[in-house]
Amino acid sequence: MTTSGKDPVLTSFEAVAGQEFDVVIVGSGVSGAVIAKQLGARGCRVLVLEAGSGNDITVADYEESVQRFYGAQGKDNNSAYAKSRNAPMPRDYETRKLQPGQPNADGYLVQMGPLEIDSTYTRVLGGTTRHWEGKALRMLPDDFRMRSLFGQGRDWPLAYGDLDAHYRAAERELGVAGDVEDQQYGGLDFGPGYVLPMRKMPLSYLDRMIARDLDGMEVTLSGETFPLKVRSTPQARNGVPNPAYDEGRGYKPVGAVSTHQEDKGERCQGNTNCVPICPVQAKYDARRTLYAALETGNVQLLAWSVASRLEVDGVTGQVSQLEFKTYDDPDAPGHRVGHVRAKVFVLAANAVENARLMLASDLPGSSNLVGRNLMDHMYLLTWALMPRPAGALRGPICTAGIEDIRTGAYRRHHAAVRYSIHNDGWGWATGSPYSDLEHLVEHENRFGAPLRQGLIDRVSRQFLMDCMIEVLPDESNRVSVDPRWVDQMGNPRPVISFGATPYTLETAAFSRRLSRRIFQRLGAEDHTHYDPLAPGYVSHDGEGYVLRGGNHWAGTHIMGTSARDSVVDSTQRSWDHPNLYLAGAGSMASIGTANTTLTLAALCFRTADAILAGLGTHAPASTTTGARA
Amino acid sequence: MSLTKITDKAGLHRHLEAAIQLEHATIPPYLNALYSIRPGANTEAFHILRAVAVEEMLHLTLAANILNAVGGTPDLTVPGFVPLYPAYLPDGETDFQVDCQAFSRAAIETFLKIERPAEGATPGVDTIHKGRKRAHHNGHKRHGTAVRARHVPGHEEEHFYSIGEFYQAIEEGLERLHAEMGDALFSGDPARQIGPEYYYSAGGGLMAVTDLASAKAAIRLISEQGEGVTDNIFDYEGEIAHYYRFEQLLLGRYYQKGDARGRPTGREVAVDWDAVFPIKANARLSDFPEGSALRQGAEDFNRAYGDFLALLTRAFQGEPAMFVEAVGGMFQLKELYYQIMRQPLGDGTHAAPTYEISHG
Repeated sequence: MTTSGKDPVLTSFEAVAGQEFDVVIVGSGVSGAVIAKQLGARGCRVLVLEAGSGNDITVADYEESVQRFYGAQGKDNNSAYAKSRNAPMPRDYETRKLQPGQPNADGYLVQMGPLEIDSTYTRVLGGTTRHWEGKALRMLPDDFRMRSLFGQGRDWPLAYGDLDAHYRAAERELGVAGDVEDQQYGGLDFGPGYVLPMRKMPLSYLDRMIARDLDGMEVTLSGETFPLKVRSTPQARNGVPNPAYDEGRGYKPVGAVSTHQEDKGERCQGNTNCVPICPVQAKYDARRTLYAALETGNVQLLAWSVASRLEVDGVTGQVSQLEFKTYDDPDAPGHRVGHVRAKVFVLAANAVENARLMLASDLPGSSNLVGRNLMDHMYLLTWALMPRPAGALRGPICTAGIEDIRTGAYRRHHAAVRYSIHNDGWGWATGSPYSDLEHLVEHENRFGAPLRQGLIDRVSRQFLMDCMIEVLPDESNRVSVDPRWVDQMGNPRPVISFGATPYTLETAAFSRRLSRRIFQRLGAEDHTHYDPLAPGYVSHDGEGYVLRGGNHWAGTHIMGTSARDSVVDSTQRSWDHPNLYLAGAGSMASIGTANTTLTLAALCFRTADAILAGLGTHAPASTTTGARA
Repeated sequence: MSLTKITDKAGLHRHLEAAIQLEHATIPPYLNALYSIRPGANTEAFHILRAVAVEEMLHLTLAANILNAVGGTPDLTVPGFVPLYPAYLPDGETDFQVDCQAFSRAAIETFLKIERPAEGATPGVDTIHKGRKRAHHNGHKRHGTAVRARHVPGHEEEHFYSIGEFYQAIEEGLERLHAEMGDALFSGDPARQIGPEYYYSAGGGLMAVTDLASAKAAIRLISEQGEGVTDNIFDYEGEIAHYYRFEQLLLGRYYQKGDARGRPTGREVAVDWDAVFPIKANARLSDFPEGSALRQGAEDFNRAYGDFLALLTRAFQGEPAMFVEAVGGMFQLKELYYQIMRQPLGDGTHAAPTYEISHG
């Protein structure tokens, strides 16, 4: 296997099929990578299966993705990554407005509605962290006690405090840049003296412009008054290391994944295309953790291999082996079927794919909750034109947001929300700046200097505020499988049933009203409009809104206190199958108003500890078997 | 300039000023080669050159930190700070000159000389010295004066075969003076230090220099990241030395751990020597017609480059935050490089920045 200065050596179907490992992990995204790194470092023999390409670890490979993005006509969030018919992935442009009773099976996901969700994920090495934006907010203590505090949703089987050490481990692993001083709200507690590995991303000109007019504005919800404040957003992006980190030992940023040190990566330089790919590798992606896992010498990586079925011993409930399909050509039909055995299996393929694999293996769980309680954040976008140039399209996508109403007594009645200020103009809502160019040329017949001036006037003043709205676990929102819909390999495709409840919609309506007040206060011209023909269009109290997905799929193997009402325990271990862990956001019992990655990474550190404890405190006897040549 | 053995603080300052000048003198040739690569082509070569250029900036800053620590005043704006290329390196290596030229085999061969290991540890030479090489005093007579003298000339000139040996002499000087003066040697204002927060590289970082230990650590980092004063391809932090980074381009293959020098066994490095703007070597403003847009562009570049050095000087003279501004200014410089290098001169070559810097 690989070491720094060594070529990564992927393992092969022949070397793996029929073999036994200590631990087999399905998926090389952040969940799988964290667990693989922790276990590999303690001498466990680990195999990681990745459905996508394995030729994705060198700088040259990375450049290929950057160039693919530059050349793509449509810049959707998977546009930088190689497609494969054998391991297909969802694309947001496949979403369309559903007609009642007619599912949309055009893309990889089969959408049953009633709400079409345009969320995606990325089936490549490093998983969806390849295209993620990098926001790394912690969940709030209240988010873990939704049922007790607000009579809504579910409680977690663990408290915020139980995750603190794992949050810290995740913040180190992901390399989070942020200032703890800016995160003092909603009961967030980082412990005395704690600082994040790197200092906050500097606030953008737009952030500061908005803060000047907005800070101190008050909002009243359910009788509780919240003063608003623009706060920096913690994010997993390389910036200025904080010398006070780690009790004064500081932090050394992890740069580009680079097999021969040909590139080191750079600090964020504000290219504004964090999604789908940072051109200078300033943004964390899970290949960094995976690479460190491979460097332990105990972790092997088998790419181009789709896990297809878990086989379970009918007596013990233990998973006995995993069936997988390895392909040679990304698109041509044809594959080999292999099996691997292990002491412990970990599904870390994301909330949709984990559920899909369980259901495809006829394992809906004794609670019948596998695939159910599907959650994702619902995003309401609001946009306006600032009175003066505001510097759009500079900086990472978001550097600040409004966090003050992430929790409060109002959550008894409607969903929690946070707001992000976008440095990338109206891109998410309107396709700007490309759509602006088209408008000025096609509709205003501008060219030369007037065209340039028009673009400056129009683009640099754009301000988009996204409203990230909590969604509760609801058993009718689900991933299922159906033999009518299979992919080229014969694996069942995920069938998505999803709807928005009044609890969520009430906050959409509130947020739209608040955005009007904010725009007014800023002297900004409101350009928000919602197209009734757009996917995600919903009506509430006579007003229409478009809800967009957040790619934060969660809840499909929900965590709880017993096998009756949940799929996994607080270590992400399956209640039904004692040697099976389902890792990732699928385990989350609520998603609050934090992007899921930091929390799921924290959960995976916890899971790695549990697996190590289960395998015995001594390193397994097989430590040396996987060592590199 | 002339350097003599360090016997007092002034001598130490002169050496460190030369070190700053030396580190900087490598940057224009590296950047000219880097940006002469056609955008999008030779991405691996581009990254290798870029990584080295970024580390030269680190070395420059570390040398400034050491000079500040011992009470000197770094100044990158003094006349003659930027050499006229072709130039000899300011540490008195006299057997080769450095050209500012396009990315090519010849350019890389020059870069190998810049980053070459200490004498006796050169690849292909069978006798390998395991210890650090000593500096050669009075080893050679100087030829050429491309780097204009700016310091008091001495009587016993020093010449070094490699940058590593030059730094070895500085380290010995530091130790000697520290033995005489104690910690009073480090009389500089610590607030002038550029700390790790100002520099980003996943490899070795920037460090504040406040005492002998940190000064020696800074020297070690500079020496080993460059050519490696020991005989290893990979340094004490597991990082591949500049010499071997460059050599990979000529040999067409990456080094990996355990490789013998000259025989890398890693993945292939594809180099397209033709995907390059054929920029004129050692271009001068006088190569561009007076009054032309190109001439104007080249003058703009020189002004911007001068501004960059002036910002760095401010950063080193008590305003560390200016370091961020200076690095930010390199984005603007990059655009200017491309603007100039895209212009054909009509004789088969393209224009190039001239680095004829005057500070007003």
